[in-house]
Amino acid sequence: MRKLVLGWSAAVLFGISAFAQTTFPRNGVYDERPGLYAFTNATIFTDYQTKIENATLVIRNGVVEAVGTNLPVPAGAAVTDLKGKQIYPGLIDLYTSYGLPEVKKEAFTWASFALRTPQYETSRKGAYNWNEAIRPEASAGDQFVVSTKSAEEMRKLGFGAVLTHNPDGFARETGAVFHLGKGRENEVLFKPNASSHFSLDKGSSKQLYPVALMGSIALLRQTYLDADWYKRGGTKKEANLSLDALNRQLSLPAIFDAGNRLDVLRADRIGDEFSVQYIIKTGGDEYSRLEEVKATGAPLIVPLNFPQPYDVQDPMDASAVAINDMKHWELAPANAATLAKANIPFALTTADLKSKAEFWANLRKAIEHGLDEKSALKALTTTPATLLKMENQLGSLKKGALANFIITSGNLFESDNVIYDNWIAGKRYVVTEAPATDIRGEYALTVGDKSGLKMTVGGKPEKPEIKILTGDTTKINVKASLSNSLLSLAFDPNPKSKGSETRLTGWIAGKTLKGEGISADGKPVKWTATYTAPFRAEAKKDSAKTAPKDLGKVVYPYVAYGSEKKLAAEDMLIRDATVWTSENEGNLTNTDVLIRGGKIARIGKNLSVAGVKVIDGTGKHLTPGIIDEHSHIATASINELQAVTAEVRIGDNLNSEDINIYRQLAGGVTAAQILHGSANPIGGQSALIKLRWGEGPENLKIKGADGFIKFALGENVKQSSSLVSARFPQTRMGVEQVMMDAFIRAKEYEKALKSVNPREKDAVPVRRDLELEALAEILNRKRFITCHSYVQSEINMLLKVADSLGFKVNTFTHILEGYKLADKMKAHGASASTFADWWAYKMEVQDAIPYNAALMHRVGVNVCINSDDAEMARRLNQEAAKVVKYGGVPEEEALKMVTLNPAKALHLDSRMGSIKVGKDADVVLWTDHPLSIYAKPEKTIIEGTVYFDAERDAKMREEIKTERLRIANKMMNAKNSGAAAQTAQPKPSQDVHCETIIGLEE
Amino acid sequence: MKNISITLLILLTTSKLFGQPPVVAKLQAKPVALVGGMAHIGNGQIIGNSVILFENGKITEVAEAGRTTPDPARYEVIDITGKHIYPGLIAPNSRIGLDEVGSVKATRDNSETGVVNASVRSLVSYNTDSELIPVTRSNGVLLAQVAPEGAVVSGTSSVVQFDAWNWEDAAYRKDDGLFVNWPDYFSRGNRFAEGAGPAKKNEARAAVLQELDRTLTDGLAYSQIRNPVPVNLKLEAMRGLYDGRKTLFIRADYAKEIIEGVQFARQHNVKKVVVVGATDAWMVVDFLKENNVPVILNALHRLPTREEEDVDMPYKLPALLHKAGVLVGLAYGDQPMQLRNLPFVAGNAAGYGLTREEALMLVTSNNARILGIDGRTGTLAVGKDANIVVSTGDLLDMRFSDVTHAFISGRQISLDNKHKRLNNRFSAKYGF
Repeated sequence: MRKLVLGWSAAVLFGISAFAQTTFPRNGVYDERPGLYAFTNATIFTDYQTKIENATLVIRNGVVEAVGTNLPVPAGAAVTDLKGKQIYPGLIDLYTSYGLPEVKKEAFTWASFALRTPQYETSRKGAYNWNEAIRPEASAGDQFVVSTKSAEEMRKLGFGAVLTHNPDGFARETGAVFHLGKGRENEVLFKPNASSHFSLDKGSSKQLYPVALMGSIALLRQTYLDADWYKRGGTKKEANLSLDALNRQLSLPAIFDAGNRLDVLRADRIGDEFSVQYIIKTGGDEYSRLEEVKATGAPLIVPLNFPQPYDVQDPMDASAVAINDMKHWELAPANAATLAKANIPFALTTADLKSKAEFWANLRKAIEHGLDEKSALKALTTTPATLLKMENQLGSLKKGALANFIITSGNLFESDNVIYDNWIAGKRYVVTEAPATDIRGEYALTVGDKSGLKMTVGGKPEKPEIKILTGDTTKINVKASLSNSLLSLAFDPNPKSKGSETRLTGWIAGKTLKGEGISADGKPVKWTATYTAPFRAEAKKDSAKTAPKDLGKVVYPYVAYGSEKKLAAEDMLIRDATVWTSENEGNLTNTDVLIRGGKIARIGKNLSVAGVKVIDGTGKHLTPGIIDEHSHIATASINELQAVTAEVRIGDNLNSEDINIYRQLAGGVTAAQILHGSANPIGGQSALIKLRWGEGPENLKIKGADGFIKFALGENVKQSSSLVSARFPQTRMGVEQVMMDAFIRAKEYEKALKSVNPREKDAVPVRRDLELEALAEILNRKRFITCHSYVQSEINMLLKVADSLGFKVNTFTHILEGYKLADKMKAHGASASTFADWWAYKMEVQDAIPYNAALMHRVGVNVCINSDDAEMARRLNQEAAKVVKYGGVPEEEALKMVTLNPAKALHLDSRMGSIKVGKDADVVLWTDHPLSIYAKPEKTIIEGTVYFDAERDAKMREEIKTERLRIANKMMNAKNSGAAAQTAQPKPSQDVHCETIIGLEE
Repeated sequence: MKNISITLLILLTTSKLFGQPPVVAKLQAKPVALVGGMAHIGNGQIIGNSVILFENGKITEVAEAGRTTPDPARYEVIDITGKHIYPGLIAPNSRIGLDEVGSVKATRDNSETGVVNASVRSLVSYNTDSELIPVTRSNGVLLAQVAPEGAVVSGTSSVVQFDAWNWEDAAYRKDDGLFVNWPDYFSRGNRFAEGAGPAKKNEARAAVLQELDRTLTDGLAYSQIRNPVPVNLKLEAMRGLYDGRKTLFIRADYAKEIIEGVQFARQHNVKKVVVVGATDAWMVVDFLKENNVPVILNALHRLPTREEEDVDMPYKLPALLHKAGVLVGLAYGDQPMQLRNLPFVAGNAAGYGLTREEALMLVTSNNARILGIDGRTGTLAVGKDANIVVSTGDLLDMRFSDVTHAFISGRQISLDNKHKRLNNRFSAKYGF
């Protein structure tokens, strides 16, 4: 605690002039210098938008004293004439871990989970948070050690200051601003505790929780709540240095590391909940969700990590590369330009580059792709300074600012620009030695007794290119080097005969170059080059600067089968179809259905409606959209692994870019419950979605839907296939106790919430607990259980637990022995959501029978047929048909098991699940009887928007081929012209069936 | 009708007495005539109103109903007017009888450890009393190739029929093939890690290919020695590859693996080669055709391999290959619980570019040809074993599929199974 307090008081004491080692004893004679410098005749960018010509910059003691035109040079100033040169503010990088040790991470694998006892508790010693990935107590300043090499690397690029932090954990140590000069740590630490840092990456923590992205989000949310509780009196209950630290960081700029465009949105949602506007470090792909990213209002920190082209020379290998990866290669360099045009504030960073040396090449590439230079400079100076709340010290050259600036040969962003000096805190660091004199020009050369030679000196002042013209038109290339005012030249006077060379040493004497040397035939010679005319630069070719043409378009979502424009609803009349109403009317032949404003507007024969699109349904069948009660698509994570994780929410990590959304639309699915997995007795909260392909994650969610949560019983939760038995429960006996215990705690939590009066002076507020809150919602009928279950004993158990504690089990899912106690389920009022014919894959499905659905249905249970499988969901109509085959359920009832019944189970039946006037227009037009194996969806419509259309699909297949070919050719060209290419290889598979290894299959 | 009630009686008695798989049917004692059904021959043909006669286990007549009238004194005449008759379905590349409960290792015998396990034989582990068998045959699947899966050279498969007291009786074609898992071009690393990185080129495959090369080269040389000393069981098991008695089944999915595997086999003088899996077969249709290589497609019920692949590629792949002249069979891969859905993957294929009769071929005559049993089964033809299924409706569409009779070598087998027994038991509970 003492260390911490010291760290913070130090922060307060640090001021801008804290760069001398005042407190340190010195070994030797004091060497304090005036530090007064004047730079004259320069073109100066005092900030990203203010350029003054022929100006003077005066700095004193590391701080800008004056800048402007016609400034008097103060007496005692060391003057540098910068005629023809430019000065820019030093660049700033907000996302580095400069000077900090590398974070050692160990990726979670299911195999390791199954093979060795997981670490359930924190391994950190001390009064810290319960989870070791919450580690905000320290500061980057604590561990920082100057890295000469990294500093030099960054200085070469033009950076003068960086924000550095230790990228470890969800809530991280604070960041500190260092300048990149040489010196002790005390001298270069500019601002400790400059920023707070967050991420969705567990870092070095080996603690089991959380393993899932949604668990990371839940943990961060709970941590914010805990910190608030701690502030409001939690200190009376426990000491917690982590929460204490977080509370003191609330006013700091908060930087969130998000790996990709969807993580940007996820991070922002956390921030919104706790009134924090994060500055979000992106992955460089946010152009592909621009609208949503802009809506976050977050300033961004953007990397320039452009992918290499894929090696697509072999077309079979090339087929492994996904089209969005191909497109990203083409469009990643345009990301920054897209953000600038959309007026999204952003800073640029060198983070995520394979090598920092790529920075300028990539930045220039970004400029070629439309990023204007002003925005680029702003993103490297003013924006990062402002985000750090240090705009008075960094990012511009106003009076009082830190003397961080770079001196360049010309426009910083031109490819031939040279950075000569990088001044940091008033100290000069030479990047490229600028010669004292620009010797470029035309000369008359005399070497020994040979005179009348013409010599031209071109190239760059620091790297002259010299040619000699002999009497005829022969051009001799001279190997030349210039250092300070010393020159060496070597050339073959008779290049055709390839003889020996004339070698000269020389110096600059005013306008003349002269010296001594040895001629090609070995004799000592004197030489002189007399200046005759100024250097004539060749006109620059502009071709390099022309913007790349024919860039592809972003599609929504940014995967195969995305559309350039998000799909929109239309009013339409479907004529003359067989309509499966799933209502009392049953099936209506030769019937028209009018869709208007996203709703079913009219149903009837020969409707006369003018001005709407007409779809011919003759010979076809129109059914309600299929609703999959049990699905795991469109989510970035599925399972959290503690026994009770009611706090995690699938809705926090929806993946709107999952191709399985489209594939399922092609199978007639319009809505689904995206469930947590079955790794634990009390899993996480579901997301109810509609398959609105192309929309962002939030727009997939069904607004106003009730909350649901996954529970699980049996083999998976008792870890039957795991070799370790550390986690309670290991038996069905234990599962009951987990349930009892959890709900009793939830009841007590509720009671405590009501009994503690926050206005009472000494009251310790009840800590808001997201886990218990979700359980309390179940008790209050505000959240509803879908419980993974197989054998009758466990089903009966949960019914009894529910009865004894006063809650309901909304739905039993899988429920393959439901037929054995359908009567009890009916009495409880539980729905059943089952597989049509799965069995035999594990012990608890030994008595699973395909007659299950039919038996439960006949007893009167609301029965659904679900998929739990991205593939099977594509043909749930066929699975429903099996209920006709096994048990003789009438066809209309069978279809309801994938439409109206799941709508009922999900409390959505007032809005969807049947074709009824006023309900959402979620319908499927089939080529054939929908229960026939030969039937295919022709159109899948959600609220009047045609999200799948067989005709459009056929067209898109061709478009994808054309687009692939176009980019492949471009990649080939890039590779042929020397670009490094990466091996073509498949993407990681998106279907999450990892459960199988530890027996978590559904 | 009488026959049905006898079956029912047997069904009820057996279930009550044993709660076990049903009793194995006795040899066909009396000639049987199936009259009035629509015969789906299995070769693309249909006889709308047919008479099928079989005796001593063999089919003796397949004809239009008008052309023959079976003598009721000699034949047990079964009137199946309005029903559909099919050859018994054949499931290649299956795990049935080797894998009873997927999650329980003690019940699994499908995957042996090692690298080259050529001599390992699936037949000796085939459990005729598996509960999965009666369930599977109730949907019309009467024969299966039982294939080992582990290692690189997995071992030797056999074809079995689904009504037997023991594996010797079950054997329909012993040791028909040798299965090889072609080394993956891309290895997915630890595919169980959440957020696993992209698949990488499989660096280990060169060594595996060298081992395969050594094995097939040595196998060929060994096959020319009549009485080798010492005897090498692995190489002994490979003799058939070089004279065509044994088929080499190569499990390969990626296009390049398919080409590489087939060429490798040809280079090593392997006479018969079949590619199993072949999810990328659409990229190498001409290659398969030119090399006359049959293909067994595993479950069509899978997702496309690549995001941009045609959404229905798995479903339409059989039609693509069949129409190009490639011999295609359908399997249900490594999920024994799904084997009863074999007719429905054929149905699915019919929804995507094949006629129903063509789709039927993929699970009957084509599979018979691929497994080398087409001389005995796979179509309804005179002289073939009477492996016959009768369904009230379209066997390939779950909407109509309802198997009422099934015969293996003329023996009418029980259609009882555990699921029906449990259905009966709990129907009784609720008074249905």
